[in-house]
Amino acid sequence: MIKEHELDKLIICKKCHTLYEKVPLTKNEKAFCNECNVLLYQQDADMLNKSLALVITAGISLFIAFNFSIININIQGLEQSLTLTSLFMVLAEHEQYVVGLLFLFIIVIFPISILLSTFVLLFFMKIGKAPYLTKRLLILLAHLKPWNMVDIFFISLLVSMVKLFDIANIELGIAFVAFLFMLILDIIITKNLSFHELWLLHAQTYGYKDE
Amino acid sequence: MNNEHLIRCHICETVNYDNALTSECRRCHTKIRASLRCSYNKTLAFLITAIILYIPANLYPILITKQFGMNSESTILGGIIHLWELGSYPIALIILVASVVVPLLKFLLITYLLITSKHQTHSSSLDKHKLLYITESIGPWSMVDVFVVVILSVLIHFSGIQIYPGTAATAFALMVFFTMLSALSFDTRLIVNHNKKSNYKKGKALHAS
Repeated sequence: MIKEHELDKLIICKKCHTLYEKVPLTKNEKAFCNECNVLLYQQDADMLNKSLALVITAGISLFIAFNFSIININIQGLEQSLTLTSLFMVLAEHEQYVVGLLFLFIIVIFPISILLSTFVLLFFMKIGKAPYLTKRLLILLAHLKPWNMVDIFFISLLVSMVKLFDIANIELGIAFVAFLFMLILDIIITKNLSFHELWLLHAQTYGYKDE
Repeated sequence: MNNEHLIRCHICETVNYDNALTSECRRCHTKIRASLRCSYNKTLAFLITAIILYIPANLYPILITKQFGMNSESTILGGIIHLWELGSYPIALIILVASVVVPLLKFLLITYLLITSKHQTHSSSLDKHKLLYITESIGPWSMVDVFVVVILSVLIHFSGIQIYPGTAATAFALMVFFTMLSALSFDTRLIVNHNKKSNYKKGKALHAS
């Protein structure tokens, strides 16, 4: 049986499950897996502040993306615009309830809950309060992570625009830019925010040891 | 140190000692799935559901165009062929990869992982871990086709001409959902368990700044 504090010195790569012994890093250094070059862990003292700022920005773009029109088209004088509300109205009209429900979760509920819980998590970890809540949020975020599909929705927007290119005049809405912005922020946040670091920081902030 | 009994918690990423006494992760107290058979059966059940759903997803029309009272329907494959004939090769390729190649690849990968967890093979557990990781990460990309159909049906919504999603859209969306569940319920210990020759290496992490 291995002692727990010895287990803490080990890390397993998320991609190839190779076991490594952690080496201490200095500021802004990163450790990668020897087998598959995946990032294992990193050292970034400013992680909380940076991520908090990014999450707030992403929240604002999310608000814009959800409330304004994404694409406006014009076919020989006939106009139509794609907004989130029109999307659900049309789906309900065609009685596509299962697709509508999946859309509701994938495009609306999951992105909102991911951003909101990341914000609450970072905020409380920064001021060092509510240890139980932050722990639950860390677990919740790990469950939500695979269901984030903003990037795929954006690619789908591009594909449908190319399909409509010949028959319609396409005008990009404000929400389209907001979606693009959200996508970029999402990539930066995922790159910045390492859950491995967050768990270590969690233990540090609330002053308990894994023993 | 016996490396074979160390597992990674799928929630908080910490290293755990895999023993019969505790089924909880020592850091986040999530249940590290106790029974491997349960994980195997769940993965298999979700996989079968997804494969069954893939049949109507291909047979029924995914897109119905109603033009001045006339209905024309197109299935996934029909749509790809139509796009190819029209000359929009990149779009045809994207749809082909997203809605044909990715789902089939996922079915094959999960089936392969399930079979090799029961029978001893020569494939290394390192490769299988990588395969599982690929399976998990390509999962949501097959949603592209459903998204496109829904976006088109919202935009082309006039009195004269309408596009709306057919039965296959529902079947396809559910198929993606179940393949994702299938990949997520696959326990990594199913990979390691039957390979007695462990591939774990003990070494220092590569340093780079």
